[in-house]
Amino acid sequence: MSARDLEPLLAVAAKLAAPFDLRTMLVEVVAAAKTVLKADRGTVWLYDAAADELVLEIATDIEPLRLPGGSGLVGSCARNRQIINVTDCYADSRFDPGMDRRSGYRTRCMLTLPLVDHNNVLVGVMQVLNKADGVFGAEDEALATVLAAQCAIALQRVRMTEALLEGQKMRQQLEMAREVQMGTLPASMPSLPGYDVYGTFEPADLTGGDTFDLELLDQGLLVVLGDATGHGIAPALSITQMHAMLRMAFRMGADLETAFTHVNNQLADTLPPDRFITAFIGLLDPTTHRLRFHSGGQGPIVHFASSTGACTNHKPTSFPLAAMPLTALRPPVSLEIRPGDILALVSDGIFEHRNAAGEEFGEARVHQLVRANCDKSMAELSAELLKAVRTFAAGAPQEDDMTVVLVKREVWPVAADWTFSRTFDAIPEIAQFTADVFESHQIDPSLLQSVDLVLEELFTNMVKYGKGNAPVRITLRKAPGGLQGTVTDFGVEPFDVTGAPEVDTGLPLQQREAGGLGLHLVRKLVDTIEYEYLKESRQSRVTFSITVREKNDARD
Amino acid sequence: MLAIDYGANGEVVIAGRLDAAQCPAAQTFLDRVQGPVTLDCTRLEYISSAGLGVLLKTQKRLMAGKGGLRLAGVNRHLQDIFQYSGFDQIFEIEPAE
Repeated sequence: MSARDLEPLLAVAAKLAAPFDLRTMLVEVVAAAKTVLKADRGTVWLYDAAADELVLEIATDIEPLRLPGGSGLVGSCARNRQIINVTDCYADSRFDPGMDRRSGYRTRCMLTLPLVDHNNVLVGVMQVLNKADGVFGAEDEALATVLAAQCAIALQRVRMTEALLEGQKMRQQLEMAREVQMGTLPASMPSLPGYDVYGTFEPADLTGGDTFDLELLDQGLLVVLGDATGHGIAPALSITQMHAMLRMAFRMGADLETAFTHVNNQLADTLPPDRFITAFIGLLDPTTHRLRFHSGGQGPIVHFASSTGACTNHKPTSFPLAAMPLTALRPPVSLEIRPGDILALVSDGIFEHRNAAGEEFGEARVHQLVRANCDKSMAELSAELLKAVRTFAAGAPQEDDMTVVLVKREVWPVAADWTFSRTFDAIPEIAQFTADVFESHQIDPSLLQSVDLVLEELFTNMVKYGKGNAPVRITLRKAPGGLQGTVTDFGVEPFDVTGAPEVDTGLPLQQREAGGLGLHLVRKLVDTIEYEYLKESRQSRVTFSITVREKNDARD
Repeated sequence: MLAIDYGANGEVVIAGRLDAAQCPAAQTFLDRVQGPVTLDCTRLEYISSAGLGVLLKTQKRLMAGKGGLRLAGVNRHLQDIFQYSGFDQIFEIEPAE
């Protein structure tokens, strides 16, 4: 190779290092080939490894030409990675005159060479046509090989840069979708006296279109759980629309049925035919404690009843929003929310979360978690739910958004309180007091005899050992599943009943003593017992809690 | 309130609540009873540790003699109490139907 031949190569090298986009780079490569090899025309085919095809971009608005790998001159050059030099095309059976016929050009001679980068990856195939003064010879092949190497590197670099940018664009789109979706969520939990209200949302990697709303409106507490079909920006935009429409409808004074119907119909009009949103839309009246709701395909709707300790599932009242226009809507479901009751709305991302074995988390587990955490705060219940799902999943991926909305009507701490003279004769009065409290506060009657016994033992202890003169106070407070009691003695020295020694109930008859049996029984019957001494007021206070247990549960 | 007296067949019938206030009366009655004897507890609603003490004192005296108390017609709650206190080991107990 002479110095003269090298000049154009060096000039081309600078061009090939420039940060062009792929299209421009292809043009530059072809131009370089024509210059260096003194060819009349050039083409560059890019190799699509996934499809095993060679692709020729013809023009921006025309579909590129695709050749299967191995077919024709270009294809076999790609396969074998060898230069193919055809000096007289029309005399060579390997040449396909099809292109010439279509373009009207006459190809005399052609050099086809593979473009392989420095990692030995096939980038494509370059062809140069019709050398200016003759045919392509051995020196041309050598020159072309050097050029091809450079072109391959340049093209590969540009392709990788474009892929990187595509990836970034994709990530940006997802982030935007996530931001749009987050914009529909309430900024803070509403504060509603007598209620503990909480909602949370854990998005999947590929944003799934969940939303929820909790807001105090004129019409009451608005409770919404929505789930738009699909992933990415489209469902995020759908739920933004639904959110805005709902708020607007209620702002204009619409009632539940009107809002639900119109939002459904408007979305049916505006969203594409394959998109819909499952949505629970409810209004809770905090004075009557009635929740009225419609649900378009969102369910099951879980209602935990404190009085029975059981969870009931409610079904959707209508098809998903935007599926089709609503012509007639059945009346909303009306639920009474009693003290201690919980409304739990949970999205599919939780019910249908799979573990590695393909098993779904399911409704039963959700019910069990609500029951087990019914006297915790709703924020805590929500955390327990999500923790349980993650534990269940044991590393299996989260495929859909997980959303939880919880509304609990708080139990007012009901306490009844009385004082009794320090004499055993007060015991029947204590029994009467206890029976009345059980009745008026609807405490489980199966606990009555045990509570009577606990109160009598604690009371008699104070009468026997406390040297005060003041009446003894007994306070009873209803608690979930049972009650809590406090017995207080005033003006006494500390006497920790809970520290009394254990009784050996296995001793033979003649060695048994009655002493200590009272406190022994108390310990057997209660769930918890605590002693407290308040020095300033010289109060001795015993607090115990007792709940209904299953028949075969041991108490100690 | 508490009622304790002899029944038709020589058994002792105890009815009502055997709490700390009623124990002295119950003890007085039982101190005069000779064993072995059945204590009909079908209408005994409630017993506290004071009541258990009365039964225990009586049983010790009777078992040192001709024989002790047989507690009949004992309800579920009372069975639990007797079990927790180990009294099912020192008394013959017959649950209610």
